[in-house]
Amino acid sequence: MTLAPEKKSKKTKKLSMKARYEALTRGLDWEPSYVAKDEMFPHLDYEGIKIHDWAAWEDPFRLTIDSYCKYQAEKDKRLYAVLDGFAQGQGHLSLTDASYLNAMKVFIQGVTPLEYGAHRHFAYLARHFAGPGPRFAALCQSIDEIRHMQTEIHTLSNYNKYYSGMHNWPENFDRVWYLSVPKSFFEDALSCGPFEFLIAVGFSFEYLLTNLLFVPFMSGASFNGDLPTMTFGFSAQSDESRHMTLGLEAIKFLLEQDEANVEIVQGWIDKWFWRSYRVTALVAQMLDYMLPRKVMSWKESFELYFEEQMLGGLFEDLAFYGIKPPRHVEDAIKEKELLSHQVYWTLYQFSFAAGFTTTAPTDEHLDWLSQAYPDTFDKYYRPLWEKEKKNIENGGRHFARGLPQLCQVCQVPMLFTEPGEPSVLAQHESEFEGEIYHTCSNGCQWIFDREPEKYRQAWLPVHQILQGNCGGPTVPDVLEWYGLQDGDAGEYIGSRDHKNWVAWQGEAAADTAAPTEKAGA
Amino acid sequence: MQYELKTQVIEPQRHTFTHIAKRYGDKPASRYLEGTIDVQAKEHFHYRPTWDPTREIFDDSYSIFRLTDAYSFLDPRQFYYAPYVTARAAHHEAFATSLKYIEDRGLLERLSDGWKGVLTELVIPLRHLESAGQLILCNMARFGWGASITQAAAYSGFDRVGNAQVLSRAGIALGGGTADLLTEAKQHWMDDAALQPLRKFAEETIVEADWGVALLQLDAVDHLLYDLLYQHLDDEAVNNGAPAYSLISQHMSSWFDDNRKWIDALYKAWRADPELGETNAAMLAEHGGAAVDAALAAVTPFAARIDELLGAEVNAVDRITTKAAEVRAAYTGEQA
Amino acid sequence: MSEQTAADQTQTKAVRDVGVVIQESESNRPVIEAIEQDNPECTTMHTPGLVRITAPGRIVINQETVEEKVGREWETHEFQMAIVSYFGNIQEWDDDEIVIAWDH
Repeated sequence: MTLAPEKKSKKTKKLSMKARYEALTRGLDWEPSYVAKDEMFPHLDYEGIKIHDWAAWEDPFRLTIDSYCKYQAEKDKRLYAVLDGFAQGQGHLSLTDASYLNAMKVFIQGVTPLEYGAHRHFAYLARHFAGPGPRFAALCQSIDEIRHMQTEIHTLSNYNKYYSGMHNWPENFDRVWYLSVPKSFFEDALSCGPFEFLIAVGFSFEYLLTNLLFVPFMSGASFNGDLPTMTFGFSAQSDESRHMTLGLEAIKFLLEQDEANVEIVQGWIDKWFWRSYRVTALVAQMLDYMLPRKVMSWKESFELYFEEQMLGGLFEDLAFYGIKPPRHVEDAIKEKELLSHQVYWTLYQFSFAAGFTTTAPTDEHLDWLSQAYPDTFDKYYRPLWEKEKKNIENGGRHFARGLPQLCQVCQVPMLFTEPGEPSVLAQHESEFEGEIYHTCSNGCQWIFDREPEKYRQAWLPVHQILQGNCGGPTVPDVLEWYGLQDGDAGEYIGSRDHKNWVAWQGEAAADTAAPTEKAGA
Repeated sequence: MQYELKTQVIEPQRHTFTHIAKRYGDKPASRYLEGTIDVQAKEHFHYRPTWDPTREIFDDSYSIFRLTDAYSFLDPRQFYYAPYVTARAAHHEAFATSLKYIEDRGLLERLSDGWKGVLTELVIPLRHLESAGQLILCNMARFGWGASITQAAAYSGFDRVGNAQVLSRAGIALGGGTADLLTEAKQHWMDDAALQPLRKFAEETIVEADWGVALLQLDAVDHLLYDLLYQHLDDEAVNNGAPAYSLISQHMSSWFDDNRKWIDALYKAWRADPELGETNAAMLAEHGGAAVDAALAAVTPFAARIDELLGAEVNAVDRITTKAAEVRAAYTGEQA
Repeated sequence: MSEQTAADQTQTKAVRDVGVVIQESESNRPVIEAIEQDNPECTTMHTPGLVRITAPGRIVINQETVEEKVGREWETHEFQMAIVSYFGNIQEWDDDEIVIAWDH
């Protein structure tokens, strides 16, 4: 296929891109005569959003089906060529280290299923919105999300053949404790009405935070020799630009349609910023701890992609409509120097029951963290790792006993500290109908208190284990029920992946791994 | 990137994902299977939907048609996203080539008034019916159970937008590069007596909550209209000097043949289900038969208008009546 | 890696930046050059595999300039093959130009 457009000789006869798009897409609104309008579009009123003119929706991309298919097919052609070449040339041996794949294990277990969920619910918007413009944009996104799910699976499929932890991701997603963080987040959005879903996923997740999730991550892949992930990531991101536009268009559309929408939308931004931000906690630790070759710290990434681009750029723009920066955003800013360390320290201790392995940072890694987090790392976290290094030297790598308490809202273990007080563990409590519910932060508590009847329904994995619903009372029972295999969980050094890696790499790799070799779990 | 050719042979630890291996054994699996099987979450849903608190977020009770194992249905085209968009890119490129030929040769201007009437009054307004198909299939993509079904439905829904754009582009070409005929087509769709039963049928199918029943209804009307417009009238066009019509028609009919593949495979899977097959077959007979009867009633005035425009010898009404009997028999198992 | 931080950027500029992130590849290089030429106030930052171009207030991608750089016809839809992310608002995506700017 050639990408060059046809000769423009007949341009005089041709409609402009804008007029052509208008004609092809926008004439197709539906004015029912034989059924009631609210029977055809029954879910548009109950959230309180008022839309007066669906035709005011602008889709700047003006993509028609023929150009959509042409460019998407070309993107996939390029991507699958990279995947095939990488697999045929045993490209996995060129990674910086097998431990890098822990990040990708979390990715396929925790992110790939969300793409599928997004496919389903953008189809819901494509059915339930009353305007043809947003319906079409949502339908494009619905099938784009299938693309993302599949390109992720197909990229990681090759690694799955040689490495642990990726083989049973759909069942892991439904069952394993830390994966209830992304699962409950997305199901929270799926259970919302169409407008809240759009603000939750289209705006808060896709526009506000997706850069934070993907861009540094894909650079990390590139830096660590993972060419396929870099390629699918950048390729998916090119669709993501369209999705971001849908999200931004959506919020402006809602704000412009009726003044009464502003307060509702503000509430959703407040809720979904924090809800999405809590999911990025998993990304924070990937960036700072799971990538053998570092690209950028979580703090840097947060400053660049969130503080500068969103707070400094976007929210100034939204101020025009009376929209304020998200509630609790200050707490997130205060947390940027602590987040990844707190999360990884917890995962490190609980990885005996996970679909990935963890290991203590090397001295070089600790130095990098000290330099990236000059105000906090040496003071609060380096001592923990120095102590752990001694434990390991004495043959006592630390794993937690028992099960962590989970936040009722975000479902991350209750590991966070109070804003501005890095030594004070945050323990919030709310009472609802005689029951006490625990939350990890001001943000999560605020979310709980707003909709307690929703969050009380949460399927909390740890509660479920204690209630005997997860295969049995012992750790091996639960791990079997999770569908984990030998080699999936625990300490990285000495794990199946590590042993294979060393064997495959031969002497050179064994040398670099030697300093920590005796730390085997 | 530095790259040294590795000569060592490394034995894989496994050949595919665990959930694929459970079904097909541990051997390399196709990209279709790895990208489709079991990817939908199926348990431990956290919250009840606010838009329907009686169900789960994904729920198999949104249709009376069910499968014991959702993945006993697979798309015979093995369409995952990449081959799907690649096939459609070629489809639309082929249509663009035909349309360019039609425009270069001025073939639309040379159509008789009868054929122009068929296009402006009846065919181009069907872009709105295609957009009804889009809504119906999007509903299925959301409320179906299992990724093989929702994926096929989403692609088919997307195809409907493509079909609407094919018809629209024909309309723009016939309108001399303007959107005037599309505006006119909308008036026909909204007001013409020949189109109202069809529009009513479309609206009622859009609001049908059971995605399986809605699919049967959409499929029934497709059977009649695609056969009439893009098989029967295509023959007429070839025989009666309307090459522009035939050149457009071939793309619609090739799409219809392709689209049939997944729908027929779904009906087959419903019938073949070891536990629910008998119930499904009875439901297919009942709802499929009813859908065909309703579709025939809805399409008859449309076909009658074709007979008026092109002459009674075209026998459009007879054609759909015969076709309806054939499709009904396929659902009910009775002789036509 | 990045020397600039959020604070010193926002403080020194009255006009808020917009930006676009492009995958760094042979086929995208002419696009990047075209943007640099048409947006003289822009600054670029390289991260592995990526180029991030920011400019105060507005970034424009002109079809004509890109066509000069690539030496063939180039339709603006093709920009989708290059873009990884952006911030700002896509104000215009037409036959002849793409404009990224804040609305307010």
